[in-house]
Amino acid sequence: MNCDEYRAAIAGDPAESFPGGAEHSPGCEDCRGYREELRALDECIARALAIDVPELRMPELPAVQAGDNVVRIKAPWSRFKSPPLWAGVAAAVALVALLVTRGPGSDVESRQLAEQIMAHMDHEQASRQVTSVPVSAQALGAVVDPKVSTMDPDIGLITYAMSCVINGNTVPHLVIQGERGPVTLILLPDETIDKAIRLSGVNVQGVILPVGSGSIAVIGEREDQLEEIGEIGRRLSETVHWNI
Amino acid sequence: MNTSADFERRQRFERLVPALHAVLYRYAAWLCRDPGIAEVVVQESLLRAWKSFDSLREDDAAKQWLLTIVRRENARYFERKNPDMVDIDELSPSQAAMIADTGEPDVDEIREAIYELEDDYREPLVLQVLMGYSTREIADHMGIKPGAVLTRLHRARLKLKAVIDASGCRVAARDSG
Repeated sequence: MNCDEYRAAIAGDPAESFPGGAEHSPGCEDCRGYREELRALDECIARALAIDVPELRMPELPAVQAGDNVVRIKAPWSRFKSPPLWAGVAAAVALVALLVTRGPGSDVESRQLAEQIMAHMDHEQASRQVTSVPVSAQALGAVVDPKVSTMDPDIGLITYAMSCVINGNTVPHLVIQGERGPVTLILLPDETIDKAIRLSGVNVQGVILPVGSGSIAVIGEREDQLEEIGEIGRRLSETVHWNI
Repeated sequence: MNTSADFERRQRFERLVPALHAVLYRYAAWLCRDPGIAEVVVQESLLRAWKSFDSLREDDAAKQWLLTIVRRENARYFERKNPDMVDIDELSPSQAAMIADTGEPDVDEIREAIYELEDDYREPLVLQVLMGYSTREIADHMGIKPGAVLTRLHRARLKLKAVIDASGCRVAARDSG
């Protein structure tokens, strides 16, 4: 191994564990000096890489069934007595009557948007965890870009924040803890709709609401969440602003 | 549901994760160069790890197993969000926090230079210097050949050395003995 080969190798592996390294350096003072220079650089690199670490926020760990599938942990709202069936039905009917004048099937673009959101909800089931651990302000700030949209961060306990692609646009996907379970909020600054769109499917109950030049999706999993979804949608509509 | 087995599973997970959290977070942060996103990536990774925790046979393999999950989760995050090129003069507060002054000029210079390294150069450097990975382990982790790892590490160090030399900062060379 000559000096050029040694120097190329030592820069990739300052521990000198490559073949021939340990034989070359004892007889070459210049290369030993170069090696020590790199090792000193590595100490500095190690200090630079050791950035401050925030406190560990252990996620809520769902219980595991006898099989190997994950099941939901016992929901905190289960301690509440279930409302009568008629209340849920009435709330659902009221929400639909109030918000929806056209279904998703009446407009191709609206239907496509609804289908994308339904598919996304199916894909992102893990986001809807019951937890009391909030996302950090930094994490939320990384997802809700103030250059694009702003919203009241006190809309509820936000426990999930992720940037997701819906209809080709990267949008904030948030989850807040509602009284009857997690509620998904998707901010859609690029999706202009004329009328509210009702979303209904397996484990998906919600609505896409027009808000100015954009829209918001507010989604729970069950019909008995519709009343709360309507209320969250109303509050979010009042506080969200598009900045693009 | 076997309650005892579940309890033991939780105990094992809650013992391993805190011990490795700093490593996971720093790896995620240097992959995505944003502490806020790193927190999200680590949280998602821990949930995924928990769901497939039974596949981790040996505790000694936990670090490598979790780092692999973090790497995939980070890629998954950016599949959804294609990040813009980062101009170091226009960083978000979260990104800027990564290269905040430490009070050590040489460390600050190097940290900023590492931040600006291409992803392909930065990741093997983090794995080698911070995680203590061998060339072979880095190659396996990144799915590239050992020769490519060495080339990237060589280039990364030369870039960092050039920054240090140009800045006038000096890292003290140890006595070569």
